[in-house]
Amino acid sequence: GVAPGAWPQVAMEASELWVGFVGAGRMAGGLVRGLLQAGKVPASNILASAPSDKNLDAWRELGCRTTHCNLEVVHRSTLVFLATKPHILPGVLEEIRPAVGSHHIVVSLVAGVTIQTLQRLLPPWTKVLRIMPNLPCVVQAGAMVFSRGSNAGDEEAALLKSLLSSCGLCEEVPESYIDIHTGLSGSGVAYVYLFAEALAEGAVKMGMPGALASRIAAQTLLGAAKMLLETGEHPAKLRGDVCTPGGTTIYALHQLEKGALRATVMNAVEAATNRACDMAKD
Amino acid sequence: AGVLAAHKITASSPDTDLPTVSGLRKIGVNFTVSNKDTVKSSDVLFLAVKPPIIPFILEEVGPDIEPRHIVVSCAAGVTISSIEKKLSTFCPTPKVIRCMTNTPVIVREGATVYATGTHADVEDGKLLEQLMASVGFCTEVEEDLIDAVTGLSGSGPAYAFTALDALADGGVKMGLPRRLAVRLGAQALLGAAKMLLESEQHPGQLKDNVCSPGGATIHALHFLESGGFRSLLINAVEASCIRTRELQHLADQEKISPAAIKKTLLDKVKLESPSLSVASASKVSLFTNKSKKN
Repeated sequence: GVAPGAWPQVAMEASELWVGFVGAGRMAGGLVRGLLQAGKVPASNILASAPSDKNLDAWRELGCRTTHCNLEVVHRSTLVFLATKPHILPGVLEEIRPAVGSHHIVVSLVAGVTIQTLQRLLPPWTKVLRIMPNLPCVVQAGAMVFSRGSNAGDEEAALLKSLLSSCGLCEEVPESYIDIHTGLSGSGVAYVYLFAEALAEGAVKMGMPGALASRIAAQTLLGAAKMLLETGEHPAKLRGDVCTPGGTTIYALHQLEKGALRATVMNAVEAATNRACDMAKD
Repeated sequence: AGVLAAHKITASSPDTDLPTVSGLRKIGVNFTVSNKDTVKSSDVLFLAVKPPIIPFILEEVGPDIEPRHIVVSCAAGVTISSIEKKLSTFCPTPKVIRCMTNTPVIVREGATVYATGTHADVEDGKLLEQLMASVGFCTEVEEDLIDAVTGLSGSGPAYAFTALDALADGGVKMGLPRRLAVRLGAQALLGAAKMLLESEQHPGQLKDNVCSPGGATIHALHFLESGGFRSLLINAVEASCIRTRELQHLADQEKISPAAIKKTLLDKVKLESPSLSVASASKVSLFTNKSKKN
């Protein structure tokens, strides 16, 4: 294929970076909001493509540019995020392949598509990275892990990390951790929602109005998580700190242990991770 | 432990054929069948009979209790106030200390707590602490915590023996000879306990330190969690504590079945661990039950 050089060379200065999104769904939307929030890339430097206008309206409102043409995104960007649904991706890759050059940095958000597959469907010189974000990227409290392909180097990794840290926690990992991240944090967000719902229901049972209970449940999770992150203490220690001898907390924890909550949660992470592995093989 | 000379210790039991009796005699402890003699020749009295028998013993030796005596009860569930009440008919200000220890005192790794009664001075408590610290860990607590201590460290060795038996079974299942499996299991628990006692870290952190990602240990722990391992242990401590309180309640009512009394005639004498050098000037006595008319 032809390696186009008409557009700007790879610029490691974020403000000079031209960023493109192929696919403009929720995950992509979360990332772009984070980028804009961090002020690292001007909206006018961001171009997103999607088949319909449904999602693109929101992008235009942010000041980004939009198109229905995937090739245009690749032509006009150096950093290209792939954010399509998994079954769409192979077709999209085939479409954009001729336009992908050695100056491009291709970052895939697509669940279950391995670096090996990406590299197979793109030109051999392509710098490929794979990222697994999670939903709270949308509110800049996400947890993301990424891995690099054969041609992606320290500069590309550093660039990605610096751009996406605005969306939350962003760490480079070996690709084998990505499915685990899905089980822990990608799906993990849903476990937390379930737990929050159950907490609130318990409160409702004991006589608190639902809306208030839900807000307090959410704040409790937020506060506990914040303490974990900010104190750096072991969760077991923080748990112990809350448990006065013979008090309410230890009584409640005993109930949780009786229900084998820990094992159940481990089972959940394991099941989601295994499912991610299986799906990736399809 | 070298805290007390054997000849300063007197033990009494009605049944001289007990193996524990000859054991005590061999290490040089004075032996008598008379509880009264024991009281007279001692300053610190350990009451080592089964809880239902305590009231009878107190009735028997009450008249011989003098102001110098420190009465230490190790009977589970027997309150300081019940002992003081019983002794008050004989002695206006009896010094009573209640303690709860556990069997590993035998190897000087006991866990002991004590609570001092109304008339026991600080020095009396410290004396007991000095004695018991020679056979393990010893600290003072409020009396209302003693039932919880019973549940945890009183019964604790039994939980540990059960765990060790099962761990050894696991080892045997996977091909180890039994003796080796028992030895390794015990050493693993001993080592872990030692690490915890010597570390500032939370046991959760120490656990994490052993669990390499995707490794053998975390796989095993998942099984433990699935089985509700933690809650079983919590349940056990709770059950033991609650049962202790029940027994205390029964004892308060002084409802003892004849069968219980008969059974206690065969009880072992509680062992202290005397040795040859002299430390304090106190004499220590061990009580056991004697044949009793109701």
